[in-house]
Amino acid sequence: MREILTSALKRYQNKADYLEIRIEKTENNTIQFQGTRLEKISSSQQVGGNIRALVKGGWGFITFNQLDNLGGKVQEVIQIASLISKGKSKLALIPPAREIIKQELDGDFRRVDLKMKKELLQSYNDLIMSYHPQIQSSKAVYTDRFSTVYYANSEGSYLEQEKPFLSVSFTAIAREGDNVQIANESLGTTRGFEVIKGLSSQAQRAAQRAVNLLQADSVEGGEYTVVLDQKLGGVFIHEAFGHLSEADFLYEDKRMRKMMKLGEKFGCPELNVIDDGSIPHLLGSAKYDDEGVRTKKNYLIKDGILVGRLHSRETAAKMKEIPTGNARALNYRYKPIVRMTNTYIETGKIPLEELFSGIKKGVYARDCYGGMTTFEMFTFSAGEGYMIRNGKIAEPVKDVVLSGNLFSTLLNIEGIGNDLKIIESGGGCGKDGQSPLPVSFGSPHLRIKRVIVGGK
Amino acid sequence: MKRLLQRANKKVDSAELFKIKSKTIPVNFEVNKLKSIDISEQEGIALRIINKGKLGFSSSSGKGNFGLMLEKAIASAEYGAIASFTFPSNREAKKKRSLEIYDEKVKNKSVEEMVEMGENLINQLKDFHQHLRIDVTILKNYSQIEYINSQGGSFNYYKTAFSCSIVAQKIETKDILMVYNSFSSGKDSLDIEELISEIKENLQWGEKIVPINSGRMPVIFTPKAVLTLILPVLSGLNGKMVYQRISPLANQQGNKLWSELFTLYNDGTIDFALGSAPFDDEGIEMRRFPLVEKGVVKNFYYDLQTAGLTGVESTGNGLRPGIENEPIPKINNLIIEEGKVPFPEMIKDIREGIIIDQVLGLGQGNILSGAFSNNVQLGFKIEKGKVVGRVKDVMIAGNALVELKNIIAIGERAKWIEGQFKFPHLYLKDLSVSTKAN
Repeated sequence: MREILTSALKRYQNKADYLEIRIEKTENNTIQFQGTRLEKISSSQQVGGNIRALVKGGWGFITFNQLDNLGGKVQEVIQIASLISKGKSKLALIPPAREIIKQELDGDFRRVDLKMKKELLQSYNDLIMSYHPQIQSSKAVYTDRFSTVYYANSEGSYLEQEKPFLSVSFTAIAREGDNVQIANESLGTTRGFEVIKGLSSQAQRAAQRAVNLLQADSVEGGEYTVVLDQKLGGVFIHEAFGHLSEADFLYEDKRMRKMMKLGEKFGCPELNVIDDGSIPHLLGSAKYDDEGVRTKKNYLIKDGILVGRLHSRETAAKMKEIPTGNARALNYRYKPIVRMTNTYIETGKIPLEELFSGIKKGVYARDCYGGMTTFEMFTFSAGEGYMIRNGKIAEPVKDVVLSGNLFSTLLNIEGIGNDLKIIESGGGCGKDGQSPLPVSFGSPHLRIKRVIVGGK
Repeated sequence: MKRLLQRANKKVDSAELFKIKSKTIPVNFEVNKLKSIDISEQEGIALRIINKGKLGFSSSSGKGNFGLMLEKAIASAEYGAIASFTFPSNREAKKKRSLEIYDEKVKNKSVEEMVEMGENLINQLKDFHQHLRIDVTILKNYSQIEYINSQGGSFNYYKTAFSCSIVAQKIETKDILMVYNSFSSGKDSLDIEELISEIKENLQWGEKIVPINSGRMPVIFTPKAVLTLILPVLSGLNGKMVYQRISPLANQQGNKLWSELFTLYNDGTIDFALGSAPFDDEGIEMRRFPLVEKGVVKNFYYDLQTAGLTGVESTGNGLRPGIENEPIPKINNLIIEEGKVPFPEMIKDIREGIIIDQVLGLGQGNILSGAFSNNVQLGFKIEKGKVVGRVKDVMIAGNALVELKNIIAIGERAKWIEGQFKFPHLYLKDLSVSTKAN
């Protein structure tokens, strides 16, 4: 492979400021139960690649499934990049990387037969379906994927990286008359098949939560002091702040740059936010990002002050900052853009009970359906909720969706718990049509004032 | 394809092959400047088999090894779901008026033309407001679909798509006004003036931020925002949810649940709509049929497998979310029947209420139950029949299956959204609005 890629690059490297080729080979399997029925069992193989060219500041990109005639494709992509060419190319300098990275798995799922995977999933699904008479249906999904990515660029980098991914998700659906409630639990991992063997309690928890939700009232809308558990806290920091630290939407925009100036106060002095793609074996981790840059630990907020952001080589160069190893592509169909890896709030000092104390009427929001952001505004929705009354957890509530504003909500964090947990869920992050990209996130329990909750 | 099918026929009871070949070219403008041009070529093939009564599936992209694919499909069929249908022989499919979904002009559109179009758009918006940040994507797509099965069913077609999406942002010290608009169609028929005039109107209305109190109040959903209410209905009408008895609409066929102003069609027969095709992805003719008629639940939508399990006919809604997935029930195009009231008349009718134009968090939460709860990413306040400004830090919430009872009026002019949904304005008597305490 190395020979093929480097020779295709060599012939044309004088015609572009920068060239890269990526080839990806992937195999995956999916098994899905719905209710008591096996809904689907399938496998697929994909081979594809892409080429990216930078000519005088303009990018051309081509993606394909047919790997023949790479030279012709390089030519084509240089041609379209030249249509843009109006400025100057800028890429942060990095040392060329040459490495072949294999993954050691704790149970190589490629060697586990389909039958065993099916039976394991079925056993979890049975636990959900038999949990309670009010469980009407379920969805249990097993997915595995093993990709090998071959990467070469015109600066002499050549990388081969193996990328395993495995996920199991459980959805329990409880019903009482017209009242239908859902709860999800999921786990994603890069570590191997052994990790997903002991998930019985998660399956049961999904069922239990769905049944409990049947008794919950819809939350009353309004402004509350909220306490978030570690998962929702993690989603919160990902949505409320993480996306805004991605430099690709502000590096060309003077006004946005002013708004996100390093040194500005963004939170209370106890708040520290980190993105770190170099932690071994987490969902967002890799030794090199998809531009061949080494990943590392990056502080985004330190002691409440904005101190860093996430970069690709281009955004780093244009903002005169250091590349951070955050250029990531979902797969060969997409170009690398600035993405988070593993994002978390550092652990604080406050024990959980203390976070609740003094809250007369608030909401304790746990677990997560999802989150979304458009720069200034963001929302995230809880999978489970309780009212807090006079400092104590009170009755359960449902349909808890929280909403906040970049410029006030981070400053409204009043308490950071001492119980950081990194979450690896089966879902992922979406941006510019690239979804779901595996990421992990985490936080200690958080207490935030003046959060708007939608409701009746 | 035929040769591959013959190979499969030798090893399994019956088989189906679905092949897609497509080319997409997006031209991207970022912060008012041309930034990148992409070419995306895609080729893939999916094999579904029925062997000893069970379904197996395998897919591959690139230079796939068909032998391996067949082997994997057979292996998966060993444990697979029991097939509730046979592959359709669509030989007798009536020759209808031919459906138009292919426009040579889209296929031949040059990248230079697309670049020029984007520049023109950006210039017009910049003339309107100097400090706007504008991001634009203009995209053309050309695809070819081929289908063949052991029962003699086969079809193939070509399809084009052209789309343009614009995000305009006005950025102040601690406020961002973000307006989104887009156009998509199978045909090269973009009306730039219309696209821009809607953005301008929103920017003007959004100039000033006005306070608002929490409470129940009348709301107008613009066509862009109507999906907030329709998504839960779609989930409830999905044959798969009905079959599992987890749809709250499962027992409601024939019952009037909502305002009689509300009529909703699935329609895969509209020329140049992005969800139209002669057949769905498993060889069943697409058609037009009512999902909801005058507030009455009329029909659910099905793919072959779910229809077979339920004991009904497929409605031509078996679509594949990507080549690596088997068909599932999905909507072709969705049409809400137009009403009689112009948008300005709705505004005039409201003493105090809001217009909802863009929401954040679409599809989050328990859609199945009908619940929705969204941040109003772009919304305007109405006072005494006039738009007075933009609202911020506001959420709406409710249960769509309940709120649709309270439709006061439906707009007289529907608008295509994403090339697949034709929605008019929708005016609700009241809805719960939550915001900051003062």
